[in-house]
Amino acid sequence: MHWLAEQFTIFRSVFIYLIQAVHWTIAISVLAYLLALVFGLVFGVARLSHRRAIRWCAGVYINVLRGVPLLVLIFFFYFGLGKFINLDRFVAGVLAVGICYGAYLAEIFRSGIEAIDYGQHEAAMSLGMTRFQTLRHIILPQSVRVVVPPAANEFIACLKDSSLVSIIGLRELTRAGREYANQHFLDFHTWLVVGAIYLAMTLTLTRFVRHLEKRVAVRGFGANRDFT
Amino acid sequence: MTLLELKDVACCFGSVEALNGVTLAVAKGEVVVIIGPSGSGKTTLLRCICALEEIGSGEIFVAGHRINKTRRDFEQVRFEVGMVFQHLHLFPHLTVLENVSLAQRVVRKRAGAEAEEISRLLLRKVGLEDKVSAYPAQLSGGQKQRVAIARALAMNPKVMLFDEITSALDPERIGEVLGVIGELAREGMTMLVVTHEIGFAREVADRIAFLENGRVVEVGPPDQILLNPAHERTREFLAKVL
Repeated sequence: MHWLAEQFTIFRSVFIYLIQAVHWTIAISVLAYLLALVFGLVFGVARLSHRRAIRWCAGVYINVLRGVPLLVLIFFFYFGLGKFINLDRFVAGVLAVGICYGAYLAEIFRSGIEAIDYGQHEAAMSLGMTRFQTLRHIILPQSVRVVVPPAANEFIACLKDSSLVSIIGLRELTRAGREYANQHFLDFHTWLVVGAIYLAMTLTLTRFVRHLEKRVAVRGFGANRDFT
Repeated sequence: MTLLELKDVACCFGSVEALNGVTLAVAKGEVVVIIGPSGSGKTTLLRCICALEEIGSGEIFVAGHRINKTRRDFEQVRFEVGMVFQHLHLFPHLTVLENVSLAQRVVRKRAGAEAEEISRLLLRKVGLEDKVSAYPAQLSGGQKQRVAIARALAMNPKVMLFDEITSALDPERIGEVLGVIGELAREGMTMLVVTHEIGFAREVADRIAFLENGRVVEVGPPDQILLNPAHERTREFLAKVL
């Protein structure tokens, strides 16, 4: 009985310490993801441009950023670019994660746009719509349905990968865990709690994604999915 | 007055010559029906007229505008030409009313209420006033066809192009769609209709053009083409489809 109470106290104090660092994890993930959405949309559309130069640039961005480990990117932004401009840890972390995830999202957006029958483009054009109007009113609203589930899953991955930013000394959840474990020699308890906090966040998000999936699936489509 | 004029139009896809010197003039208010075997270039012809396909050589004039290769010309010609696709391509995420009114708002810059009123009027005309808030997936094939027609008409085109719009319908449904086209013909709409329905062609056409291998083999009044064709190929084709 005494042992259990002692364990509980330890877990409790670990938890109270760590939960104070969670807002950094959330801030990095949310801001990086918003950045990634913008990059993803711009480069995803650019990948399908009818101008070869634009397509090529987008291709370089997507393939380079997807081909380099995120950890290396984080080092590059903080230490590498730090030789020229003094980037704050937080800013460097958000940029690295955001730009990396932008490349993944660009691929998701591209496939979402390509999933829409080309006849939809032609119908819109035959009504006199410009490329931009077609994208804005016809293609993207339909792509949303295809894109939302995988894009939302990327946020979950992004949240987990935000732990890598701990390496440049930003005291988010993982960094706080390392500090606490080192100070109190409570590695087992600390990492268990760190894991549990990440898990609680990702599980909540998974449920939210499933809910979102249902919402976008129903809109505009009856029981059958007839695209004609 | 000639509203639509094609002069020696050619269009190639790689080494395949889809159109090989088509010359055709359509007067205002005239209905020209195009018949011909699969792969003869019927669809390509319509696609060239509404500027979805670039022509290799020759000239196309729509309501006096020449379709060159600049984007402005394309946008201009799409103002004048309404196209109903074989596979319709209704916008599945929009209601029937939104399908018909969207382009009026964003292209013609009509106010929301005005666009909606025009859409309702057109939908009543094609007999779908009770379906305004349905989504395309909830409609039958014939109803979808009529939405597609209303959507094209909403842009006030001077010429309407129809691409085998009855090919995916069961015989019972064909009547309701053809009725709408017949009515447009009576109102004096200029139309170019690609069809396999010879009976329908005879009914609405002022002239019938027989197309083969990307060329107009012959063109003339329905009775002449259908009953007394001048060319051997036309006769062979009709013998098979009639």
